[in-house]
Amino acid sequence: MKRNALNITVGIVLFLIFVLLLFVFQVRTTQVAVVTTFGKATRPVTNAGAYFRWPWPIQEVHKFDERIHNFESKFEQVLTPDGYSLLIMVYAGWNISRPDVFFPRFGDSIQQAEENLEQVVRNAYSGVVGKHPFSHFISTDEKELKFVEIEQEILKRIQDDTKASGFGIDIKFLGIKKLGLPEGVTQLVFERMQSERQLQENRIKFEGERMAENIRSAANLESAKLLTEADAQATRIRSQGELEAAKSYEVFQKEPELAILLLKLTSLEIFLKGRTTLILDEGTPPLELLKTPPRKQP
Amino acid sequence: MNGSTDHPELEKRGAPMQPIPETPDDPGSQALSDALRSSFNIIRVVMVALVVVFLFSGFFTVGTQEKAVILRFGKPVGTGERALLGPGFHWAFPYPIDEYVKIPVGQLQTVNSTIGWYATSAAAEAAHNEPPPAPSLNPATDGYVLTGDENIIHVRGTLLYRITEPGLRYTFDFTNTQAHVQNAFDNALLYAAAGFKVDDALTRDVAGFRDRVRARLNDLVAQYQLGITVDQINLQAIPPRQLTAAFASVLEADVRRGKVLNDARSYENQTVSRARSEAQGRINTGETERNRMVKEISAEAARFTAFLPKYKANPRGFTEQRQIEVVQRVLTNVAEPLILPKRSDGRPHEIRLQLGQDQRLPKLPESPKDEH
Repeated sequence: MKRNALNITVGIVLFLIFVLLLFVFQVRTTQVAVVTTFGKATRPVTNAGAYFRWPWPIQEVHKFDERIHNFESKFEQVLTPDGYSLLIMVYAGWNISRPDVFFPRFGDSIQQAEENLEQVVRNAYSGVVGKHPFSHFISTDEKELKFVEIEQEILKRIQDDTKASGFGIDIKFLGIKKLGLPEGVTQLVFERMQSERQLQENRIKFEGERMAENIRSAANLESAKLLTEADAQATRIRSQGELEAAKSYEVFQKEPELAILLLKLTSLEIFLKGRTTLILDEGTPPLELLKTPPRKQP
Repeated sequence: MNGSTDHPELEKRGAPMQPIPETPDDPGSQALSDALRSSFNIIRVVMVALVVVFLFSGFFTVGTQEKAVILRFGKPVGTGERALLGPGFHWAFPYPIDEYVKIPVGQLQTVNSTIGWYATSAAAEAAHNEPPPAPSLNPATDGYVLTGDENIIHVRGTLLYRITEPGLRYTFDFTNTQAHVQNAFDNALLYAAAGFKVDDALTRDVAGFRDRVRARLNDLVAQYQLGITVDQINLQAIPPRQLTAAFASVLEADVRRGKVLNDARSYENQTVSRARSEAQGRINTGETERNRMVKEISAEAARFTAFLPKYKANPRGFTEQRQIEVVQRVLTNVAEPLILPKRSDGRPHEIRLQLGQDQRLPKLPESPKDEH
């Protein structure tokens, strides 16, 4: 009988395991689930762990990937209010937040949800993007550039729309992935860029020449100024010298006649320093001696 | 837990079941019982082996560049940093109780931008064999970004990043985290270009452009909680191939302008320094003249002072003496002194000189009658 007791214990344990498997289900950390009772969504499970359920056919468990999915829209053409045709593509991160709402609407199909999301995004383009002038998308003026604001508006709009139409999903974030122009327009842009380049090339050239000319003339002006100042200073120095000399002149006042005599003699000497031909009258001293015969003549 | 306990029970149950078929005595039953016994033995061995394999399947190793997380009933064991298992040997309960997930935390991951470059292939690019540019860009195949001043440029980049610890968000919260990182990177390129001037993005402020991309990317990473750390961003930006020549000639003009300006600056240096030395020269000349003037006058004054007593003693005598001295010195120096005696009749001489030709040519004394 001891053997039988053991067998019964083992049997019970196995039975319990079987029952557990029937009545318990696991939800992984990356999953959410919805429990359906007779095909009707009755209980969402959004936290990971082990949960109770009634066995099939009463209840069924549908599990979904709770992680954030990557959605990328098509490259769509939008007309801005100022008449530009703009191509825009956005990406979004979304996940299933309410499996009990998601399941009845899309079943198990992520793809079907994204197709619906695509439609919502397209509506947001005309509603949001179509209200912003081209300069809000690209601009060198920080105040004019509304890139981030546009993203926020689209995000808000899509969040509201998906909530209103009961998608059971949550849009976590959204950004613009691509901006473009219609193919024909790119050619026009190239033509404009070409002429802008030409203009810029000329501008740089003339600007360079003008600046060089400015530098040169400034240099000339500067040199002229330096020389003029130097001349002025030299004149000042000379007149200073004259002033100092004037003090020495006072000495000459003691005997002006002597001063004049000395001056005359010095001048004469300087004047006749070179190779000179001099015609003299014999009366000039000491030549008068030539004329006067010596007194003691034999 | 269940798995480890109920298997030994099964083994024990195998043994007591052996005697049951022994009750019948006929040889057929005997053979059957032998066959059953040997099959039970085989099953027993297989069972034991299975249990061992099952238990050992819970062991796993974590490499140096990664961490691991154990999920028990689908839920991480521990929270945050504490959930992370470092490099080494670990054990978890076998499926369906536990599950382990490895996270490549330390590894450098690479993502390339997908927008902004024209349609080409790496092979064609390496072989310099790219198809020539069409006159326009096809939005379906050719990527580009628009700059703030409404120009079109091509830009592409490589992003190197690491998963920030603990890495749970990166690993468990996104279906394809790399795709989200790539989208954020593309968006950062688009955003940076949208506020930049074409010349700044291409040449004038390349570093500023990269900084703007990086700042925007970091914003998005934080906002989306991607759980990564940006390590490095490499960018390449070029003008559209359709306008390569036009852009190149602007750059050339820029270089030429630099040269013209340098020439002008060296002219400036030369001219000004020449003028400066010239000016100094003029000032020096003035200085020299002043010194000379002062010295000469003071020498003169000294001479005057020296002569003064002699002069006062005998003004007339002194004057004559000085006069004669000077005339003597002068006459010694004179090349050709001509002395004309007085005419006996007391009338003046007439002298004719030919000047400017040869100063040595003497004059002709003429008769005074020729005058008048």
